[in-house]
Amino acid sequence: MIRRPLRPLARILPARMRGENTAAIERENLRQRHEQMRDKARLRAEGRLLVLGLLFFCAFVTIGGRMATMASSPAEEPQAAAAGSPIISQRADITDREGRLLATNIDTYALYAQPPQMIDPEHSARELARIFPELDEEELLADFTGPRRFLWIRRTLSPEQRQAVFDIGDPGLLFGPREMRLYPNGPIAAHILGGASYGREGVSSAEVIGVAGVERQFDQYLRDPANEGAPLELSLDLSVQAALEDVLSNGMDFMNARGAAGILMDAHSGEIVAMASLPDFDPNNRPRPLTQGHPGDSPLFNRSVQGVYELGSVFKIFAVAQALELGLVNPQTMIETQGPLTWGRFRIRDMHHMPPEMTVSDVIVESSNVGTSRIAMMLGGERQRQFLDQLGLLEPTGVEMIEAPTGRPLLPANWSEISTMTISYGHGLSVSPLHLAAAYATIANGGRRVTPTLQHSATHPEGTRVMSEETAAQARSMLRQVVTQGTASLAEVEGYEVGGKTGSADKPKENGGGYYNDRTIGTFAGMFPASDPRYVIVITLDEPVETTGSQPRRTAGWTAVPVAAEVIRRTAPLLGMRPLVDDGGDAGVVLASQ
Amino acid sequence: MAVSYLEQNVRRVPQGLKKILYLNWAVILLLTAIACFGFLMLYSVAGGSAEPWMDAQIERFAVGMVAMVVIAMVPIWFWRNMAALGYIVSLLLLVAVELFGSVGMGAQRWIDLGFMRLQPSELMKIGLVMFLAAYYDWLPLRRVSHPVWVALPLAFIAAPTLLTLAQPDLGTALLLVIGGTAIMFFAGVHWAYFATAIAAGVGTVYAVFASRGTPWQLLKDYQYRRIDTFLDPASDPMNTGYHITQAKIALGSGGLTGRGFMQGTQSRLNFLPEKHTDFIFTTLAEEFGFVGAITLLTLYALVIFFCVASALQNRDRFASLVTLGIATTFFLFFAVNMSMVMGLAPVVGVPLPLVSYGGSAMVVLLLAFGVMQSAHVHRPR
Repeated sequence: MIRRPLRPLARILPARMRGENTAAIERENLRQRHEQMRDKARLRAEGRLLVLGLLFFCAFVTIGGRMATMASSPAEEPQAAAAGSPIISQRADITDREGRLLATNIDTYALYAQPPQMIDPEHSARELARIFPELDEEELLADFTGPRRFLWIRRTLSPEQRQAVFDIGDPGLLFGPREMRLYPNGPIAAHILGGASYGREGVSSAEVIGVAGVERQFDQYLRDPANEGAPLELSLDLSVQAALEDVLSNGMDFMNARGAAGILMDAHSGEIVAMASLPDFDPNNRPRPLTQGHPGDSPLFNRSVQGVYELGSVFKIFAVAQALELGLVNPQTMIETQGPLTWGRFRIRDMHHMPPEMTVSDVIVESSNVGTSRIAMMLGGERQRQFLDQLGLLEPTGVEMIEAPTGRPLLPANWSEISTMTISYGHGLSVSPLHLAAAYATIANGGRRVTPTLQHSATHPEGTRVMSEETAAQARSMLRQVVTQGTASLAEVEGYEVGGKTGSADKPKENGGGYYNDRTIGTFAGMFPASDPRYVIVITLDEPVETTGSQPRRTAGWTAVPVAAEVIRRTAPLLGMRPLVDDGGDAGVVLASQ
Repeated sequence: MAVSYLEQNVRRVPQGLKKILYLNWAVILLLTAIACFGFLMLYSVAGGSAEPWMDAQIERFAVGMVAMVVIAMVPIWFWRNMAALGYIVSLLLLVAVELFGSVGMGAQRWIDLGFMRLQPSELMKIGLVMFLAAYYDWLPLRRVSHPVWVALPLAFIAAPTLLTLAQPDLGTALLLVIGGTAIMFFAGVHWAYFATAIAAGVGTVYAVFASRGTPWQLLKDYQYRRIDTFLDPASDPMNTGYHITQAKIALGSGGLTGRGFMQGTQSRLNFLPEKHTDFIFTTLAEEFGFVGAITLLTLYALVIFFCVASALQNRDRFASLVTLGIATTFFLFFAVNMSMVMGLAPVVGVPLPLVSYGGSAMVVLLLAFGVMQSAHVHRPR
């Protein structure tokens, strides 16, 4: 046993001689030593504290001094007399591809008061409160008779209101000219345009700045005086956009969906002809962002661009197209589709009974999860990832909207074999509907990568080749069969030869931990005409339920597909496409001149 | 070993509900007064409406106050024993946010728990202070300046700092480094270390600027731009410099007594972005003028004063270190925020404590003051 030396020996030894309790002396000594040590620490800490206290004090003095100098400096703005630098106005218009106005400016006036110049404040306050019911007479009077020398009353006035204020005849009520941004079509293309608000405001003019969408993205361009007011021409077609929004809105109501997104894109150039997200808003009167709840529930949220979802079976064609491209299969290769497919603790099964073996074509037409997973296993995760990356499905779309970078696809943390399988049928990888449209455009245009764009231009650089013409043609013929024989039969629009694929994905629970079994995202991604597609269409409905049948139906074939068909029926003629009439061959027709 | 003397004095510590009488009521009143300033401002920036900010803020303040008192009732030695655990949990959460967090405003900062958004970096601010205080309470005094025992706390500070930098959240990282260093300073680490650190800091700043534009540049472009516009906000008045320019206008137009409650045009007409969070001080300065601003500053200074007084009274090493650490963190919050608003420091995104709208920051701050109160109640007498 190691025994600590007794301290202080000088006191303990004599005490022991006298037969007293030495433990008490030792304890007392230990206590004193502890206190000494502690006091030393405290002394040092207090010295340190003094230093820091000094620093704190300096900081207080600096901040306080700064406050004092700033408060005593004259206010720069807004002052009636302040000349200030000239504020650049004349924001350029925004038009659609045909030159129809989407956003423009109108001249208006702001109303302000200079109380020292007022003749009859009581009368003015009363009259103003009568003209603008939202103003309070007593508050106005208090402002007019108080010490204030300047105050804004209204930011914008209508001509009638201006005349009425003018008729009050008080020289202390003054008008500041300015422009305001006007969106003549109201909520049409709201998410794309975004909105604008005032930046610096002066008495003689005010700056209009973009706050969202293309208004914000092209803010510099729109305000650049070097462009001499040349309008910004978007790729949108106003009439097609209006038709898409109309059909989508009715479809959303009819299918009892929470939200909807729709995209119509030129398959070759990637120009977005129409793009909508519901619920929407009026950019003339942009609502405040939500402060509570999920930002995705706000009408400001652009489901087409910002919303990333697991889109389900629409992805199957990518796995098949890649397998065709690599020569692993041809459309007639037999694939084992006996379910369920067990992988570790996961089981992949199909929605309905499938035969034990099917051709690759039928895997797409019948939408077999098991079959697609087996094809994905032939590809392997690394090749699958590269292919999806080439299609642009793993990066933000890069469309010219300030919100585009937020639409970043959600990839699995670890691209495992089970991920490879689930991604092949559209689970485990979340992308936006716009991503999907761009990827389908690659199949539609014969295999070239497409970057979605909102700018109208005569020429677009040709995208890199992702798959061969032949592969793309085989994939298109499968997509056409999905409409003629498979799950998307309601998409058939006579004369436009629609091809496409449905996807009904169970929504993942917000807090993780599996999927809802009664909430789906229903998607139709397609192209028309399938033999030589010009346009790609994507329609996505959030939590649709079709209730006309005996049981509620949630699959895309009953929800997104009919909406997509109606969109095509309405917009194809607007896009200048003639229906292809099948004349049934020459049989029975005899030309008279023979 | 430098044993805490608390255990010896347990008898004299007030018991049960009687502890409420022994809380540091001055600090509680000051905190409430500051929070009331915040409620007024949130009411004003919402255009004279309790929705959407003031109500939520009052709710959180009430929750935070109750939590503070509950924490204060628990003996400080319990919190000392929990400090290491708290630090480890906070660190794990920081790692978790890196892996599973959601992205907001360009930075990955919170974990969505479903019912609330947890910002682990906030939790870490108090976790680090407590852990370092406990560390120095445990460490014998003569070892304090030994290189090994200095390197250890440096690692404790570095781990969470790097994680928050990765989010990227420059403001919090800065707060963690300065807060942690302050504890080491109070604990009595040798002067030479701090002198070296300051020299190294100056060197780093030089390196950061020297590396700009080269492929291995150390900060993100937007962080460089923030520094640029701090140095010359006029160079970019519409984008990054906009915050500062508008804030200056607001302060200038406030004058001595301000424009009056709810009369601030700068903030009410939506000139100011983030007017209810980081830049709420401008609204206050505009509406209540220099008098209002200096009042708030004085309230903050008094909180610091009472904390330091409490720490000086306290003979327990952990308790006094933790109190000083919390006071320093609190000081850094408002000093950095006010400096940033007034253009004395770069815009780094630090809220004005108890006034800015924001859930986890306020609650965590009140939790920290709970620990400080516990130290005060359970001090050896």
